[in-house]
Amino acid sequence: MSLCWAEMRCRAMMAGICSLRAIRGRFYSVATATKLTNAEISQRRSALFEKEKERQLSLNPLIEKIEVAHVGKADPGTVFLMNKGISTPYNCAMHLNEWYCAKSVLALVDGELWDMYKPLTKSCKIKFLTFKDEDPEEVNKAYWRSCSAILGHVLEQAFKDDYIVNLVRAPEIPVIAGAFCYDVVLDPKLDEWQPTKENLHSFTRDALKLIRQDLPFECLEVEEKVARDIFQHNPYKLMCLEEKAAQHPEGKVTLHRFGEFVDLTEGPHIPRTSFCMQYEVTAAHSIVNISTEHVRRFQGLSLPWHLQAYHTVWNKLRIRAQKLVTETQSTESEPAV
Amino acid sequence: MRLFPVLLVAHGRVARRMGLGPRSRLDMLRNLLTALVRHERIETTWARADELRFYAEKIIEYGKRGDTNEKAMKIADFWLTEKDLIHKLFKVLVPRFSLNSGSYTNMYHIPNRENLDRAKMAVIEYKGNPFPPLPVQKKDNDKTLINQLLLGYRLENGLQRSPTSA
Repeated sequence: MSLCWAEMRCRAMMAGICSLRAIRGRFYSVATATKLTNAEISQRRSALFEKEKERQLSLNPLIEKIEVAHVGKADPGTVFLMNKGISTPYNCAMHLNEWYCAKSVLALVDGELWDMYKPLTKSCKIKFLTFKDEDPEEVNKAYWRSCSAILGHVLEQAFKDDYIVNLVRAPEIPVIAGAFCYDVVLDPKLDEWQPTKENLHSFTRDALKLIRQDLPFECLEVEEKVARDIFQHNPYKLMCLEEKAAQHPEGKVTLHRFGEFVDLTEGPHIPRTSFCMQYEVTAAHSIVNISTEHVRRFQGLSLPWHLQAYHTVWNKLRIRAQKLVTETQSTESEPAV
Repeated sequence: MRLFPVLLVAHGRVARRMGLGPRSRLDMLRNLLTALVRHERIETTWARADELRFYAEKIIEYGKRGDTNEKAMKIADFWLTEKDLIHKLFKVLVPRFSLNSGSYTNMYHIPNRENLDRAKMAVIEYKGNPFPPLPVQKKDNDKTLINQLLLGYRLENGLQRSPTSA
Protein backbone atom coordinates (compact mmCIF):
# COMPACT_ATOMS: atom_id res chain seq x y z
CA MET A 1 0.00 0.00 0.00
CA SER A 2 2.64 2.47 1.07
CA LEU A 3 4.54 1.91 -2.13
CA CYS A 4 1.44 2.59 -4.14
CA TRP A 5 0.89 5.90 -2.30
CA ALA A 6 4.44 6.95 -2.95
CA GLU A 7 4.02 6.20 -6.60
CA MET A 8 0.86 8.27 -6.82
CA ARG A 9 2.47 11.19 -5.04
CA CYS A 10 5.41 10.97 -7.40
CA ARG A 11 3.03 11.13 -10.36
CA ALA A 12 1.30 14.15 -8.92
CA MET A 13 4.68 15.81 -8.51
CA MET A 14 5.51 15.07 -12.11
CA ALA A 15 2.24 16.58 -13.26
CA GLY A 16 3.01 19.66 -11.23
CA ILE A 17 6.39 20.04 -12.85
CA CYS A 18 4.99 19.51 -16.31
CA SER A 19 2.55 22.29 -15.75
CA LEU A 20 5.37 24.80 -15.23
CA ARG A 21 5.41 26.71 -18.46
CA ALA A 22 8.04 29.03 -19.82
CA ILE A 23 6.92 32.34 -21.30
CA ARG A 24 9.54 34.85 -22.40
CA GLY A 25 12.11 33.11 -20.26
CA ARG A 26 10.01 33.39 -17.09
CA PHE A 27 8.29 30.48 -15.43
CA TYR A 28 4.69 30.56 -14.29
CA SER A 29 3.29 27.72 -12.27
CA VAL A 30 -0.18 26.84 -13.45
CA ALA A 31 -2.67 24.72 -11.57
CA THR A 32 -2.99 21.29 -13.12
CA ALA A 33 -5.94 21.57 -15.39
CA THR A 34 -5.87 18.03 -16.67
CA LYS A 35 -9.33 17.26 -15.31
CA LEU A 36 -11.02 20.62 -15.91
CA THR A 37 -12.49 21.38 -19.31
CA ASN A 38 -12.72 24.84 -20.81
CA ALA A 39 -16.38 25.14 -19.87
CA GLU A 40 -15.69 24.17 -16.28
CA ILE A 41 -12.84 26.66 -16.02
CA SER A 42 -14.99 29.50 -17.28
CA GLN A 43 -17.83 28.50 -14.97
CA ARG A 44 -15.41 28.56 -12.07
CA ARG A 45 -14.17 32.01 -13.08
CA SER A 46 -17.69 33.31 -13.36
CA ALA A 47 -18.61 31.88 -9.95
CA LEU A 48 -15.56 33.49 -8.32
CA PHE A 49 -16.40 36.78 -9.99
CA GLU A 50 -19.96 36.57 -8.67
CA LYS A 51 -18.73 35.74 -5.18
CA GLU A 52 -16.32 38.66 -5.13
CA LYS A 53 -19.01 41.01 -6.43
CA GLU A 54 -21.42 39.97 -3.67
CA ARG A 55 -18.67 40.34 -1.09
CA GLN A 56 -17.92 43.88 -2.25
CA LEU A 57 -21.61 44.79 -2.21
CA SER A 58 -22.02 43.44 1.33
CA LEU A 59 -19.19 45.69 2.59
CA ASN A 60 -21.45 48.76 2.61
CA PRO A 61 -24.90 47.77 3.82
CA LEU A 62 -25.96 51.40 4.35
CA ILE A 63 -27.16 53.18 1.26
CA GLU A 64 -25.74 56.67 0.75
CA LYS A 65 -27.15 59.19 -1.69
CA ILE A 66 -25.08 61.06 -4.26
CA GLU A 67 -25.99 63.85 -6.63
CA VAL A 68 -25.21 63.37 -10.30
CA ALA A 69 -25.47 66.32 -12.67
CA HIS A 70 -26.04 65.77 -16.37
CA VAL A 71 -23.92 67.64 -18.91
CA GLY A 72 -24.94 67.62 -22.54
CA LYS A 73 -26.67 69.42 -25.37
CA ALA A 74 -30.14 68.21 -24.41
CA ASP A 75 -31.35 68.35 -20.80
CA PRO A 76 -28.30 70.12 -19.35
CA GLY A 77 -28.15 70.62 -15.61
CA THR A 78 -30.53 67.80 -14.73
CA VAL A 79 -29.62 66.46 -11.30
CA PHE A 80 -30.20 62.84 -10.36
CA LEU A 81 -30.29 61.62 -6.78
CA MET A 82 -28.63 58.22 -6.98
CA ASN A 83 -27.41 55.48 -4.66
CA LYS A 84 -23.69 55.38 -4.02
CA GLY A 85 -22.01 52.20 -5.17
CA ILE A 86 -25.24 50.76 -6.61
CA SER A 87 -26.59 53.15 -9.25
CA THR A 88 -24.93 53.11 -12.63
CA PRO A 89 -24.86 55.64 -15.48
CA TYR A 90 -27.48 53.45 -17.14
CA ASN A 91 -29.87 54.18 -14.26
CA CYS A 92 -29.31 57.90 -14.85
CA ALA A 93 -30.09 57.39 -18.53
CA MET A 94 -33.29 55.59 -17.58
CA HIS A 95 -34.41 58.74 -15.73
CA LEU A 96 -33.89 60.85 -18.85
CA ASN A 97 -35.51 58.94 -21.71
CA GLU A 98 -35.26 55.87 -23.87
CA TRP A 99 -32.99 57.58 -26.37
CA TYR A 100 -30.21 57.75 -23.79
CA CYS A 101 -30.71 54.11 -22.79
CA ALA A 102 -30.57 52.88 -26.37
CA LYS A 103 -27.80 55.08 -27.75
CA SER A 104 -25.38 55.66 -24.88
CA VAL A 105 -22.32 53.48 -25.20
CA LEU A 106 -20.09 54.99 -22.54
CA ALA A 107 -20.39 57.66 -19.91
CA LEU A 108 -17.95 60.43 -19.15
CA VAL A 109 -17.90 60.79 -15.36
CA ASP A 110 -15.93 63.88 -14.31
CA GLY A 111 -13.88 63.53 -17.50
CA GLU A 112 -13.17 59.86 -16.88
CA LEU A 113 -14.44 57.10 -19.16
CA TRP A 114 -16.97 54.96 -17.36
CA ASP A 115 -18.88 51.82 -18.28
CA MET A 116 -22.65 52.16 -18.47
CA TYR A 117 -23.00 49.33 -15.94
CA LYS A 118 -20.25 50.42 -13.53
CA PRO A 119 -21.62 51.77 -10.23
CA LEU A 120 -20.99 55.43 -9.48
CA THR A 121 -18.84 56.08 -6.43
CA LYS A 122 -19.24 59.79 -5.74
CA SER A 123 -21.18 62.92 -6.62
CA CYS A 124 -20.13 63.84 -10.11
CA LYS A 125 -20.97 65.28 -13.49
CA ILE A 126 -22.04 62.82 -16.16
CA LYS A 127 -22.10 62.95 -19.93
CA PHE A 128 -23.27 60.21 -22.25
CA LEU A 129 -21.22 59.22 -25.28
CA THR A 130 -22.72 57.72 -28.42
CA PHE A 131 -21.49 56.33 -31.74
CA LYS A 132 -22.54 59.48 -33.58
CA ASP A 133 -20.77 62.06 -31.41
CA GLU A 134 -18.42 64.68 -32.82
CA ASP A 135 -15.42 62.64 -31.77
CA PRO A 136 -16.44 59.03 -31.10
CA GLU A 137 -12.88 57.67 -30.94
CA GLU A 138 -13.12 56.31 -27.40
CA VAL A 139 -16.51 54.78 -28.15
CA ASN A 140 -15.08 53.08 -31.22
CA LYS A 141 -12.22 51.71 -29.17
CA ALA A 142 -14.62 50.38 -26.56
CA TYR A 143 -16.70 48.73 -29.27
CA TRP A 144 -13.67 47.06 -30.82
CA ARG A 145 -12.58 45.85 -27.39
CA SER A 146 -15.99 44.36 -26.65
CA CYS A 147 -16.08 42.62 -30.02
CA SER A 148 -12.69 41.09 -29.21
CA ALA A 149 -14.09 39.91 -25.90
CA ILE A 150 -17.01 38.23 -27.67
CA LEU A 151 -14.52 36.57 -30.00
CA GLY A 152 -12.54 35.38 -26.97
CA HIS A 153 -15.65 33.88 -25.41
CA VAL A 154 -16.53 32.10 -28.64
CA LEU A 155 -13.04 30.65 -29.03
CA GLU A 156 -12.97 29.45 -25.44
CA GLN A 157 -16.25 27.58 -25.77
CA ALA A 158 -16.07 26.39 -29.37
CA PHE A 159 -13.68 23.44 -29.04
CA LYS A 160 -14.37 19.98 -27.71
CA ASP A 161 -13.48 19.19 -24.10
CA ASP A 162 -10.33 17.25 -25.15
CA TYR A 163 -8.65 20.40 -26.40
CA ILE A 164 -7.36 23.05 -24.03
CA VAL A 165 -7.67 26.64 -25.23
CA ASN A 166 -5.54 29.35 -23.64
CA LEU A 167 -6.48 32.90 -24.47
CA VAL A 168 -3.38 35.09 -24.63
CA ARG A 169 -4.74 38.62 -24.94
CA ALA A 170 -6.75 40.93 -27.15
CA PRO A 171 -4.35 43.44 -28.72
CA GLU A 172 -5.71 46.96 -29.11
CA ILE A 173 -6.10 47.26 -32.87
CA PRO A 174 -7.05 50.71 -34.23
CA VAL A 175 -10.42 50.70 -35.97
CA ILE A 176 -8.90 51.99 -39.19
CA ALA A 177 -6.90 48.76 -39.50
CA GLY A 178 -10.17 47.06 -40.38
CA ALA A 179 -10.51 44.18 -37.92
CA PHE A 180 -10.37 43.31 -34.25
CA CYS A 181 -8.59 40.21 -33.06
CA TYR A 182 -7.88 37.83 -30.21
CA ASP A 183 -4.64 35.90 -29.75
CA VAL A 184 -5.04 32.29 -28.69
CA VAL A 185 -2.79 29.33 -27.98
CA LEU A 186 -4.62 26.15 -28.87
CA ASP A 187 -3.93 22.65 -27.68
CA PRO A 188 -0.67 21.18 -29.09
CA LYS A 189 -2.82 18.46 -30.69
CA LEU A 190 -4.30 21.14 -32.95
CA ASP A 191 -0.99 22.54 -34.22
CA GLU A 192 -1.54 21.12 -37.70
CA TRP A 193 -5.15 22.25 -37.91
CA GLN A 194 -5.99 25.07 -40.29
CA PRO A 195 -9.45 26.61 -39.79
CA THR A 196 -11.63 26.23 -42.86
CA LYS A 197 -14.36 28.59 -44.03
CA GLU A 198 -16.94 26.35 -42.36
CA ASN A 199 -15.07 26.49 -39.05
CA LEU A 200 -15.01 30.28 -39.13
CA HIS A 201 -18.67 30.32 -40.02
CA SER A 202 -19.45 28.16 -37.02
CA PHE A 203 -17.55 30.65 -34.79
CA THR A 204 -19.63 33.43 -36.32
CA ARG A 205 -22.82 31.60 -35.49
CA ASP A 206 -21.70 31.13 -31.88
CA ALA A 207 -20.95 34.85 -31.65
CA LEU A 208 -24.34 35.75 -33.06
CA LYS A 209 -25.95 33.49 -30.46
CA LEU A 210 -24.16 35.45 -27.73
CA ILE A 211 -25.27 38.74 -29.29
CA ARG A 212 -28.87 37.57 -29.39
CA GLN A 213 -28.73 36.69 -25.68
CA ASP A 214 -28.23 40.40 -24.93
CA LEU A 215 -25.70 39.84 -22.14
CA PRO A 216 -24.60 42.83 -20.04
CA PHE A 217 -20.91 43.62 -19.53
CA GLU A 218 -20.22 43.80 -15.80
CA CYS A 219 -17.22 45.54 -14.34
CA LEU A 220 -15.42 44.80 -11.08
CA GLU A 221 -12.23 46.02 -9.46
CA VAL A 222 -10.52 43.28 -7.44
CA GLU A 223 -7.34 42.63 -5.48
CA GLU A 224 -4.50 40.95 -7.32
CA LYS A 225 -4.86 37.86 -5.12
CA VAL A 226 -8.46 37.28 -6.16
CA ALA A 227 -7.65 37.84 -9.81
CA ARG A 228 -4.79 35.37 -9.51
CA ASP A 229 -7.22 32.80 -8.19
CA ILE A 230 -9.66 33.48 -11.02
CA PHE A 231 -7.03 33.13 -13.75
CA GLN A 232 -4.99 30.36 -12.16
CA HIS A 233 -5.36 28.06 -15.16
CA ASN A 234 -4.11 30.53 -17.74
CA PRO A 235 -0.41 31.45 -17.64
CA TYR A 236 -0.73 34.27 -20.18
CA LYS A 237 -3.45 36.01 -18.22
CA LEU A 238 -1.38 35.64 -15.04
CA MET A 239 1.50 37.43 -16.75
CA CYS A 240 -0.74 40.27 -17.95
CA LEU A 241 -2.28 40.46 -14.50
CA GLU A 242 1.11 40.93 -12.86
CA GLU A 243 1.94 43.81 -15.22
CA LYS A 244 -1.40 45.47 -14.65
CA ALA A 245 -1.25 45.14 -10.87
CA ALA A 246 2.23 46.69 -10.89
CA GLN A 247 0.92 49.72 -12.80
CA HIS A 248 -2.05 50.29 -10.50
CA PRO A 249 -1.20 52.35 -7.37
CA GLU A 250 -3.11 50.03 -5.00
CA GLY A 251 -2.20 46.82 -6.82
CA LYS A 252 -5.75 46.24 -8.01
CA VAL A 253 -6.92 44.98 -11.39
CA THR A 254 -10.19 45.56 -13.20
CA LEU A 255 -12.14 42.63 -14.59
CA HIS A 256 -15.04 42.49 -16.99
CA ARG A 257 -17.57 39.73 -17.31
CA PHE A 258 -20.34 38.99 -19.76
CA GLY A 259 -22.19 35.71 -19.66
CA GLU A 260 -19.65 33.29 -18.23
CA PHE A 261 -16.62 34.96 -19.74
CA VAL A 262 -14.32 36.83 -17.38
CA ASP A 263 -11.44 38.81 -18.80
CA LEU A 264 -8.83 41.32 -17.75
CA THR A 265 -9.78 44.82 -18.75
CA GLU A 266 -7.90 46.99 -21.20
CA GLY A 267 -10.54 49.72 -20.93
CA PRO A 268 -14.28 50.31 -20.79
CA HIS A 269 -16.71 48.12 -22.70
CA ILE A 270 -20.07 48.65 -24.41
CA PRO A 271 -23.12 48.04 -22.17
CA ARG A 272 -24.61 44.94 -23.79
CA THR A 273 -23.73 42.42 -26.47
CA SER A 274 -26.90 43.31 -28.39
CA PHE A 275 -25.27 46.59 -29.43
CA CYS A 276 -23.52 44.51 -32.09
CA MET A 277 -25.55 43.92 -35.21
CA GLN A 278 -23.38 42.56 -37.99
CA TYR A 279 -20.66 40.25 -36.73
CA GLU A 280 -18.34 37.90 -38.51
CA VAL A 281 -15.20 35.97 -37.67
CA THR A 282 -13.18 36.53 -40.82
CA ALA A 283 -9.78 34.88 -40.52
CA ALA A 284 -7.25 33.02 -38.43
CA HIS A 285 -3.52 33.61 -38.82
CA SER A 286 -0.51 32.04 -37.17
CA ILE A 287 1.92 34.44 -35.55
CA VAL A 288 5.17 33.02 -34.32
CA ASN A 289 7.17 36.00 -33.16
CA ILE A 290 5.68 36.16 -29.65
CA SER A 291 7.12 32.94 -28.28
CA THR A 292 8.01 29.44 -29.25
CA GLU A 293 4.40 28.35 -28.92
CA HIS A 294 1.97 28.36 -31.79
CA VAL A 295 0.01 31.58 -31.27
CA ARG A 296 -2.95 32.09 -33.53
CA ARG A 297 -4.66 35.40 -34.17
CA PHE A 298 -8.38 35.16 -34.86
CA GLN A 299 -9.84 38.21 -36.54
CA GLY A 300 -13.32 39.52 -36.98
CA LEU A 301 -15.41 42.41 -38.18
CA SER A 302 -18.49 43.88 -36.60
CA LEU A 303 -20.79 46.88 -36.80
CA PRO A 304 -23.29 48.14 -34.22
CA TRP A 305 -26.98 48.45 -35.05
CA HIS A 306 -26.60 52.24 -34.92
CA LEU A 307 -24.26 52.16 -37.93
CA GLN A 308 -25.20 49.42 -40.34
CA ALA A 309 -23.61 48.82 -43.69
CA TYR A 310 -25.25 47.83 -46.96
CA HIS A 311 -24.31 44.29 -47.93
CA THR A 312 -21.99 45.32 -50.77
CA VAL A 313 -20.06 47.65 -48.44
CA TRP A 314 -20.05 45.02 -45.72
CA ASN A 315 -18.63 42.49 -48.16
CA LYS A 316 -15.76 44.81 -49.09
CA LEU A 317 -14.94 45.44 -45.45
CA ARG A 318 -15.22 41.74 -44.70
CA ILE A 319 -12.71 40.81 -47.38
CA ARG A 320 -10.36 43.47 -46.07
CA ALA A 321 -10.71 42.11 -42.52
CA GLN A 322 -9.21 38.78 -43.65
CA LYS A 323 -5.73 40.30 -43.85
CA LEU A 324 -3.53 39.99 -40.79
CA VAL A 325 -3.79 43.10 -38.63
CA THR A 326 -1.09 44.38 -36.32
CA GLU A 327 -1.08 47.00 -33.61
CA THR A 328 1.30 49.32 -35.47
CA GLN A 329 -0.47 49.20 -38.83
CA SER A 330 -2.05 52.65 -38.73
CA THR A 331 1.19 54.45 -37.89
CA GLU A 332 2.90 52.81 -40.86
CA SER A 333 0.20 53.58 -43.41
CA GLU A 334 -0.49 57.21 -42.47
CA PRO A 335 2.78 58.89 -43.53
CA ALA A 336 2.65 57.12 -46.88
CA VAL A 337 -0.66 58.77 -47.82
CA MET B 1 -35.13 67.49 -61.83
CA ARG B 2 -36.42 64.79 -59.54
CA LEU B 3 -39.31 62.93 -61.09
CA PHE B 4 -41.29 59.86 -60.35
CA PRO B 5 -40.27 56.76 -62.31
CA VAL B 6 -43.74 56.68 -63.93
CA LEU B 7 -43.25 60.18 -65.26
CA LEU B 8 -39.85 59.31 -66.63
CA VAL B 9 -41.37 56.47 -68.58
CA ALA B 10 -44.10 58.73 -69.98
CA HIS B 11 -42.33 59.76 -73.15
CA GLY B 12 -41.67 63.39 -73.74
CA ARG B 13 -43.28 64.54 -70.51
CA VAL B 14 -40.40 65.80 -68.41
CA ALA B 15 -42.28 68.25 -66.21
CA ARG B 16 -45.18 68.11 -63.83
CA ARG B 17 -48.56 69.32 -65.02
CA MET B 18 -49.56 72.14 -62.68
CA GLY B 19 -52.12 74.88 -62.57
CA LEU B 20 -54.90 75.23 -65.15
CA GLY B 21 -52.76 74.46 -68.20
CA PRO B 22 -49.29 75.01 -69.64
CA ARG B 23 -49.67 78.77 -69.75
CA SER B 24 -51.00 78.88 -66.20
CA ARG B 25 -48.09 76.73 -65.08
CA LEU B 26 -45.56 79.09 -66.63
CA ASP B 27 -47.25 82.12 -65.10
CA MET B 28 -47.18 80.55 -61.69
CA LEU B 29 -43.50 79.64 -62.02
CA ARG B 30 -42.71 83.14 -63.33
CA ASN B 31 -44.24 84.65 -60.24
CA LEU B 32 -42.33 82.24 -58.03
CA LEU B 33 -39.05 82.90 -59.82
CA THR B 34 -39.60 86.66 -59.52
CA ALA B 35 -40.14 86.20 -55.79
CA LEU B 36 -37.03 84.01 -55.55
CA VAL B 37 -34.85 86.57 -57.32
CA ARG B 38 -36.22 89.33 -55.11
CA HIS B 39 -36.03 87.56 -51.74
CA GLU B 40 -33.38 84.93 -52.54
CA ARG B 41 -35.10 82.45 -50.20
CA ILE B 42 -38.74 81.45 -50.50
CA GLU B 43 -41.01 78.83 -49.05
CA THR B 44 -43.46 76.95 -51.27
CA THR B 45 -44.75 73.45 -51.85
CA TRP B 46 -42.15 70.87 -52.60
CA ALA B 47 -43.40 70.10 -56.11
CA ARG B 48 -43.43 73.77 -57.11
CA ALA B 49 -39.98 74.36 -55.64
CA ASP B 50 -38.69 71.34 -57.51
CA GLU B 51 -40.14 72.61 -60.80
CA LEU B 52 -38.88 76.10 -60.10
CA ARG B 53 -35.35 74.94 -59.48
CA PHE B 54 -34.71 74.13 -63.14
CA TYR B 55 -35.75 77.62 -64.26
CA ALA B 56 -33.90 79.32 -61.38
CA GLU B 57 -30.68 77.66 -62.50
CA LYS B 58 -31.37 78.25 -66.19
CA ILE B 59 -31.90 81.99 -65.78
CA ILE B 60 -28.44 82.31 -64.23
CA GLU B 61 -26.96 80.28 -67.06
CA TYR B 62 -28.47 82.66 -69.61
CA GLY B 63 -27.51 85.64 -67.46
CA LYS B 64 -23.88 84.61 -67.76
CA ARG B 65 -24.02 85.52 -71.45
CA GLY B 66 -24.09 89.15 -70.32
CA ASP B 67 -26.71 91.91 -70.41
CA THR B 68 -25.78 92.84 -73.98
CA ASN B 69 -26.87 89.42 -75.23
CA GLU B 70 -30.25 89.58 -76.88
CA LYS B 71 -31.35 86.06 -75.88
CA ALA B 72 -30.32 86.59 -72.25
CA MET B 73 -32.25 89.83 -72.03
CA LYS B 74 -35.31 88.23 -73.63
CA ILE B 75 -35.27 85.37 -71.13
CA ALA B 76 -34.82 87.75 -68.19
CA ASP B 77 -37.58 89.99 -69.45
CA PHE B 78 -39.99 87.06 -69.77
CA TRP B 79 -39.24 85.39 -66.44
CA LEU B 80 -38.97 88.43 -64.19
CA THR B 81 -42.36 90.08 -64.04
CA GLU B 82 -41.03 92.98 -61.94
CA LYS B 83 -38.63 94.74 -64.22
CA ASP B 84 -36.37 96.27 -61.56
CA LEU B 85 -35.11 92.73 -60.88
CA ILE B 86 -33.47 92.48 -64.32
CA HIS B 87 -30.81 94.82 -63.03
CA LYS B 88 -30.37 92.68 -59.89
CA LEU B 89 -30.04 89.50 -61.94
CA PHE B 90 -27.21 90.83 -64.13
CA LYS B 91 -25.41 92.92 -61.53
CA VAL B 92 -25.80 90.85 -58.32
CA LEU B 93 -26.66 87.23 -58.95
CA VAL B 94 -24.66 86.51 -62.10
CA PRO B 95 -21.39 88.00 -60.74
CA ARG B 96 -21.93 85.97 -57.54
CA PHE B 97 -22.01 82.72 -59.49
CA SER B 98 -19.36 83.66 -62.05
CA LEU B 99 -16.92 81.13 -60.62
CA ASN B 100 -19.18 78.10 -60.20
CA SER B 101 -20.90 76.24 -62.96
CA GLY B 102 -24.28 74.75 -62.15
CA SER B 103 -25.94 74.10 -58.79
CA TYR B 104 -26.76 77.67 -57.85
CA THR B 105 -29.69 76.79 -55.62
CA ASN B 106 -30.35 74.86 -52.43
CA MET B 107 -33.56 73.09 -51.63
CA TYR B 108 -34.61 71.86 -48.20
CA HIS B 109 -37.54 69.79 -47.11
CA ILE B 110 -39.49 71.44 -44.27
CA PRO B 111 -42.46 70.19 -42.20
CA ASN B 112 -45.74 69.74 -44.03
CA ARG B 113 -48.18 72.61 -44.26
CA GLU B 114 -50.57 72.67 -41.30
CA ASN B 115 -53.18 75.40 -41.88
CA LEU B 116 -54.53 74.67 -45.36
CA ASP B 117 -53.71 71.11 -46.26
CA ARG B 118 -50.91 68.70 -45.46
CA ALA B 119 -48.87 69.62 -48.49
CA LYS B 120 -45.22 68.68 -48.57
CA MET B 121 -43.33 71.96 -48.22
CA ALA B 122 -39.87 73.08 -49.20
CA VAL B 123 -37.55 76.04 -49.00
CA ILE B 124 -35.63 77.05 -52.10
CA GLU B 125 -32.83 79.59 -52.02
CA TYR B 126 -29.99 80.97 -54.10
CA LYS B 127 -26.61 80.06 -52.65
CA GLY B 128 -24.61 82.84 -51.05
CA ASN B 129 -27.69 84.74 -49.87
CA PRO B 130 -27.37 87.11 -46.89
CA PHE B 131 -29.70 85.13 -44.59
CA PRO B 132 -28.43 82.97 -41.75
CA PRO B 133 -28.00 79.35 -42.84
CA LEU B 134 -30.89 76.96 -42.30
CA PRO B 135 -30.40 74.30 -39.65
CA VAL B 136 -29.65 71.20 -41.68
CA GLN B 137 -29.46 67.73 -40.27
CA LYS B 138 -25.79 66.85 -40.21
CA LYS B 139 -24.47 63.76 -41.88
CA ASP B 140 -22.35 61.33 -39.87
CA ASN B 141 -18.88 62.73 -39.47
CA ASP B 142 -15.70 61.06 -40.65
CA LYS B 143 -14.80 59.70 -37.26
CA THR B 144 -17.69 57.28 -36.79
CA LEU B 145 -16.87 53.59 -36.69
CA ILE B 146 -18.09 52.73 -40.17
CA ASN B 147 -16.55 55.83 -41.77
CA GLN B 148 -13.21 54.98 -40.18
CA LEU B 149 -13.44 51.45 -41.56
CA LEU B 150 -14.27 52.79 -45.00
CA LEU B 151 -11.47 55.34 -44.78
CA GLY B 152 -9.04 52.54 -43.98
CA TYR B 153 -10.37 50.57 -46.94
CA ARG B 154 -9.92 53.52 -49.30
CA LEU B 155 -6.44 54.29 -48.02
CA GLU B 156 -5.39 50.70 -48.48
CA ASN B 157 -6.78 50.51 -52.00
CA GLY B 158 -5.23 53.87 -52.86
CA LEU B 159 -1.90 52.54 -51.71
CA GLN B 160 -2.34 49.42 -53.75
CA ARG B 161 -3.36 51.30 -56.87
CA SER B 162 -0.60 53.91 -56.91
CA PRO B 163 2.36 51.58 -57.72
CA THR B 164 0.53 50.07 -60.73
CA SER B 165 -0.50 53.44 -62.16
CA ALA B 166 2.92 55.05 -61.62
